[in-house]
Amino acid sequence: MPVPAMPKSWRVDNKPHKFCPGCGHGLVLKCLGKAIDELEIQSRVVYGCDIGCSLLSWDLFNLDTVQTHHGRTTPVMAGMKRARPELICIAYMGDGGGYSIGVQHLVGAAMRNEKITVIVANNTQYAMTGGQMAPTTLPGQKTETSPYGRDAETTGLPFQGAEMIAAIAPEGAYVARGSVSHLAQLTRFLKKALRNQIDGHGFSFVEALSACPTNWRTDAAGTWEFVEKDMAEHFKRGEIKIPEKREAAADA
Amino acid sequence: MTVAPVKEEKRVFMTGNEVVAWAALAAGADIMYGYPITPQNEVMHYWSRLAPRYGKSFLQTEDELSAGFATTGGVMTGSKAFTATAGSGSVLMQEPMAMAEMMRLPTVTIVQQRGGPSTATVIYSQQEVTLTTMGGNGEGIRVVYSTAGHQDLYDYTIKAFNIAWKYRFPTFVLGDGYQAKMREPLTIYDPEKRGVKLLQPDPFVGKEGEPGRDRPPAQYRNTYNLEEELYEKIMSDMKEFEENSADIAEYESSYTEDAELVIIAHGIVFRAVREALDNLRQQGLPVGAFRPVTLRPLPVGQIKELVARVKKILVVESAYGQIARLIKEKACGAACEIHTMFKPGIGIAAEEVEVRAKEILAKQ
Amino acid sequence: MSDRIVEAYIGEYASGKSESAINRALELARKGRKVNLVDLDLVEPFYTLRPLQEELSRLGLEVIAWKTEETVGLGEAGTVIKPAARWALRRIGDVILDIGYGIEGARTLNLLEGADEDPDLKIFAVINISRPMTASVADIVAEVGTMGHVDGLINNTHLAEETTAALVQAGSRIVTTAANAMGLPVIATQAEEKLAGVIGPVDCMGNRVRPLKRFMPKAFW
Repeated sequence: MPVPAMPKSWRVDNKPHKFCPGCGHGLVLKCLGKAIDELEIQSRVVYGCDIGCSLLSWDLFNLDTVQTHHGRTTPVMAGMKRARPELICIAYMGDGGGYSIGVQHLVGAAMRNEKITVIVANNTQYAMTGGQMAPTTLPGQKTETSPYGRDAETTGLPFQGAEMIAAIAPEGAYVARGSVSHLAQLTRFLKKALRNQIDGHGFSFVEALSACPTNWRTDAAGTWEFVEKDMAEHFKRGEIKIPEKREAAADA
Repeated sequence: MTVAPVKEEKRVFMTGNEVVAWAALAAGADIMYGYPITPQNEVMHYWSRLAPRYGKSFLQTEDELSAGFATTGGVMTGSKAFTATAGSGSVLMQEPMAMAEMMRLPTVTIVQQRGGPSTATVIYSQQEVTLTTMGGNGEGIRVVYSTAGHQDLYDYTIKAFNIAWKYRFPTFVLGDGYQAKMREPLTIYDPEKRGVKLLQPDPFVGKEGEPGRDRPPAQYRNTYNLEEELYEKIMSDMKEFEENSADIAEYESSYTEDAELVIIAHGIVFRAVREALDNLRQQGLPVGAFRPVTLRPLPVGQIKELVARVKKILVVESAYGQIARLIKEKACGAACEIHTMFKPGIGIAAEEVEVRAKEILAKQ
Repeated sequence: MSDRIVEAYIGEYASGKSESAINRALELARKGRKVNLVDLDLVEPFYTLRPLQEELSRLGLEVIAWKTEETVGLGEAGTVIKPAARWALRRIGDVILDIGYGIEGARTLNLLEGADEDPDLKIFAVINISRPMTASVADIVAEVGTMGHVDGLINNTHLAEETTAALVQAGSRIVTTAANAMGLPVIATQAEEKLAGVIGPVDCMGNRVRPLKRFMPKAFW
């Protein structure tokens, strides 16, 4: 049976992966795999994933991987990078792990310009645990813990995580937001983020708007609409912070 | 270019926290991750001052969760990484240390106990025994050394790195605020010059070669799907822990052979017990003393032998039963009387121990 | 030339600043002088002269320090300067300042009103060569270099109960060499009373020997 085209840095032996049909993770991680392939860094990458659906990627790649605790992937990978700076450290997590329990660690890492690459897959809710409200849930969106729709009055508005990181991170950091609806752009952003780490400029961060048809209870058309219409109203795609052009660090 | 930090043996005058920093250097530690909390701050103050001189690294993180998790990341790269904490920080450390237990990560953590619970005092206690031995959401597959002064702090901090990397259980050096701050002489030395071979760490991730092509990818998780899977894992780890316990466990005992009453204490409290014991023995009283040096694994064989043979035990601690509980578990079924002296968060003087011991001996 | 004595004791952590300050203050008080002893340890509250203040007051000193019971969450809520300490230089009599450790120790004096104008203020760095950070001449020069303005060094070399006269003398040789390298005087060599008796009024490098009575082991909290 023919095997579908997969990035070289993906393992083939354990596919199909365990994500739901229509899940955004498969797409985001395919873009990440492509970026790693094009940069030819497969032997230097250590990949960390969080608790949540991201943990299903623990054996997705042909990369050394550690699945950590909820929200703690950022400090584990930052710790790794500090101990062995020649490794390319990637921390992958969802919007719950990144913007709720782990947001303190994102702030610390961004503020210190830790030379790691953090990728937050944003699907507006805690998917693995059944679809609870998250910092990125849209106003009026129904989830298991906002059964009547998210009330902005009492629970706030969708968290602008990438913008916050851009505001905190010093010069040298790279911050962007892409989407599974624009894979070529997302791949480009991921490549630039990793390049930023390889060149030793600073923290790199990509938020990827992602899809969860399972918890959104949407069909293909409805999923596309939610990402491209509803989420796009609150989360803008684009590069938010780019390091000023400068020579790559001599010992990067 | 790195220089050996401790070349010659030297008698020096230091505070306990400094001892930890120098011992970590002597043990070949590569990196410390830490967060400020009294009374362990000087471990970081000294490490961060010494680190650049010896090619070592230091990172102050945004909290203890991050410090602990960064330490797990550090050890996974094959670096000798350590952290230090106390009090409420110890509570936060339980999450990363539980991960270290599950994933068999050789973290080294120094805990300088302070009064608890909550903020309490910054001064001293022995109230973090339960946390340090069993604080994660698992079976406490950890090694814990309870030190009784600066020479111990130096010796056991060095040993902690070796034991951690040999057995792959998160390893702890349990001190307290008194030890952290008090000043006394000790001998600092290069362990290899004393014939102690320093284990070289083996990386978990980032080894040579391309994963998938030159070698399989090294992929680690702490999540399991089936009860049976988890059961197998835990039972396997516990078996390994128990099989190695006798080799790892350490203790100190005096005059327990002919004793009618044996005083059991750990850490700095044992100093008061030693002094009390001297006085009591000089008065011809049949008293002995026993000190578990490892609180995890406890020296079970020695404890069981003791409680089977001796009439009375007195457990003394600056907590409300944290070490007593551990001893009583091992003593289960033995006929001896177990008396206790609980002084949570406060120092214990030799005289107090003496008075209590005499009271107990007097009772029939 | 004023007769007033104003001395600030600075130095590496656990080098003996408090012990030096206390003994110096008592030395002056025994001569019938009015002496203010000021606690300016700002980094951490263990091992300061704070717990000794009643005893020291009875020995004739005016002690400016918080009483432990007056504080809240000591050590957690931070070490707070007693307001009176800020104005210590305005007090009648001698002023002996125990400056706690910390990066750039002498800068604590910025908190003292009038420190930059006080004509009598002398800053002394206390050194114990039994401490690895200040064990060699090079180490001492480097460490004192981080302290800001210093007027002299004090040799406080000891190993607690294990101290020998030979050790104190070894300290004197190293501290004096370091002092010479920095163009600073050695103010004194300190030693516990019995040892001071053995060494004599002057040490092997010609420095005055100041006998010490140890107070600080009782000063844990």
